Amino acid sequence: MRILFITNLYPPVLIGGFELACANVADALAARGHEIRVLTTWCHLPDNTAAPAWVRRELDLFFFVPYSSHNQTVALRDLHSAVCSSYANTLHLLRNIREFRPDLVSVWNPLGVGGLAMMDLLNLIGLPWSLHLGDRVPVDIVDVPDVVRGLYNACGNSLYAGARILSVSQHLLDEIEAMAGISFPHGADIVAGWADLSHAVPHQPYLREGRARFVAAGGIYQHKGIDLMLAASARLQAEGVDFSLDLYGDGELPQYIDRARSLQLQDRVCFKGPRAQSQLLPLYSEYDAFLCPTWERDPFPFAPLEAAGCETPPVLTRNCGTSERLVDGVHCMKIDRTVEQLAEAMAQVAAGKVDLARMGRAGQRLMKTDLSFARYLDRVEDALNDHVRPWDYAVADDPALPLLAFLKHNLSVFLRFG
Amino acid sequence: MDYIVQALRAAGGFQQCIFSLGKEDRLLQRDGTPVRVLRNESPSSEPVFGYSSAMWRELRGFDLVHLHHSLTVFGAYSLALVRSMGIPIVGTDLGGGERDLMLRGRSIELLDGIVSISQFAYSLLGTSFKGPHEVIIGPVNTESFSPALDPVRDRRRVLCVSRIMPHKGIDRIITVLPPELSLTIVGRVYHEEYYGILQNLAAGKNVTFIIDADDDTLLTLYRTSGLFVQASTAMDIFGNPHAKAELMGLTTLEAMACGLPVVVSETGSLPELIADPRFGRVFHNPAELTNIFRDFVAGAWPEADADVLAREHVTRAHGLEAIGRRLASFYGTVMGEHAKSRHVCASYS
Repeated sequence: MRILFITNLYPPVLIGGFELACANVADALAARGHEIRVLTTWCHLPDNTAAPAWVRRELDLFFFVPYSSHNQTVALRDLHSAVCSSYANTLHLLRNIREFRPDLVSVWNPLGVGGLAMMDLLNLIGLPWSLHLGDRVPVDIVDVPDVVRGLYNACGNSLYAGARILSVSQHLLDEIEAMAGISFPHGADIVAGWADLSHAVPHQPYLREGRARFVAAGGIYQHKGIDLMLAASARLQAEGVDFSLDLYGDGELPQYIDRARSLQLQDRVCFKGPRAQSQLLPLYSEYDAFLCPTWERDPFPFAPLEAAGCETPPVLTRNCGTSERLVDGVHCMKIDRTVEQLAEAMAQVAAGKVDLARMGRAGQRLMKTDLSFARYLDRVEDALNDHVRPWDYAVADDPALPLLAFLKHNLSVFLRFG
Repeated sequence: MDYIVQALRAAGGFQQCIFSLGKEDRLLQRDGTPVRVLRNESPSSEPVFGYSSAMWRELRGFDLVHLHHSLTVFGAYSLALVRSMGIPIVGTDLGGGERDLMLRGRSIELLDGIVSISQFAYSLLGTSFKGPHEVIIGPVNTESFSPALDPVRDRRRVLCVSRIMPHKGIDRIITVLPPELSLTIVGRVYHEEYYGILQNLAAGKNVTFIIDADDDTLLTLYRTSGLFVQASTAMDIFGNPHAKAELMGLTTLEAMACGLPVVVSETGSLPELIADPRFGRVFHNPAELTNIFRDFVAGAWPEADADVLAREHVTRAHGLEAIGRRLASFYGTVMGEHAKSRHVCASYS
């Protein structure tokens, strides 16, 4: 297949596991012989040399990474460009379609690049496309005013009627239906995450020297449960439990370092900054449990799976997306997202009341079988292959297509801002 | 619109549906033609700023869309949707404003064809649109607008049928109206200040305003007056310019269909309506209108059979059958061209 990926972010510019997943899938499908092109946004980081030539950093990005103005007018305009329409980005997509002639366009997260107009363009052309949901994209698109969405036939399900939907979890689909009233009548493939364990090393003995070593990795933000982890740590410390907590990742570090200090946790809790995926996996072998008290609507945090694959059992929010794939008490410990339950789970680990070795082995077995990357890739590849059908290149070559996109873009701005 | 529907029905071979906007969804019938009113989703009360995304659903399956008011917001929005659906689309500018997006932005080129309601109207678009076009002036229902069977005309009554607005130049008629003639002005008031000026100008002259005439009254006036005048101007009494003062003078055609000789100003499309000086004259300034009135009072103009000539001309060139045939032919050309090319349509069609 010739597959054109569209993604708002691409490593090394990323927020979390979903962007890494996109890159991993693109790499792996290329390795399987598919012709790949990735259309994504600029990279401002100096370590951009390793990207393959088929990664085209041509799109502009209107939120996530760039400075967001507090001026309401500017912010709303940026939001429009981000979620609804950026004419330049729509043209970049069209040009890549004309050049690359993909059999299918795989849309990952199109927010930040004017995703609504881009998906509309795919529908206009009649090009087979898939939407890989790692977050509630349709909910954000529903936030675009009705009058503007109407221009793109995006009131209700119509926008997605011809797309193959892949979702990281049923939880995410339920959330989209509950919040936006959007379901997918043609169904959706649940393609959960995976763990690439190629950098994993054998796990060290658990609870070495009687100390419980906890680890967390991901964004250092409130919604990821950093506050809960600090509060639970404070309880354990007050109870005299011997433990440590290392947090890897970037985010609101100064705020949380200060918070940890104010709770007198500086000897227990250490913020270690961001690490590459390949560096994190060997590190997990040193820890007894992985903490992931993320918010309930987290569609699919990847890191707990990687930890499970490294025999470091996750403690994770009971109803986040990843929970769908792990069995409580077998592969992980599931908790309600409260300080009490997190502290209780940590205390049980520290007290040796959890068979961490058995749970670690079960987790690793799961990751090497059902949730292996190879199996995941098989499912994605099958879904995409099944959706491919001939389409008429001449439609994409219609010289009036940029003009139609121009009209729709400008009308969208007019209808929204006057 | 109504006349076009009638004309196309006369030509045969088409199933028609009129789409319009309103406060809520409705389905009406007008002489057997469905009129689908879609809920206007625009916050503006101005009709030309209206739009409806229900067109995605409602227009599916149509072979051609003829878009009226094509340069307005309504036109631009509808064009975007219809073009996205891959349906061939013909546009017509009826005035009502225009968006930069359509002309300067050249979105007008998304139309598959243009029907202009006059050469003048086409001249305003011709530099922006190079595709198929047709100039179709009218149509007029010459069965409804016809002379009385036993015509009794007041030869001294001049008739002006026009909305009361500055660019209609009604002040120019009143100013030079000779004492031998009366003037009846039929039209709703859209500009109170201008109406006041006209009333002041009319003081001491035989001028009547009928601002709430119904169709029957209007037809009676066409059938019983002696002369019809339309005096639109590109520069109104307040000194304001009007780029599209007259895209097509439908009332002039109606008057001629009823056998009235007509006088029109040189503005916009109006001279195009005057095919023969025996029943129609064009004036360029008040002095010329004064001279025409003098000729009329003296019986030097029009020709004795002007009523017959005027009606024959309108029936032949602007009647329902003639226009219906031309419109059907043009639609066929556009649909044929569209079928040859590859347009966006795909999953939306």
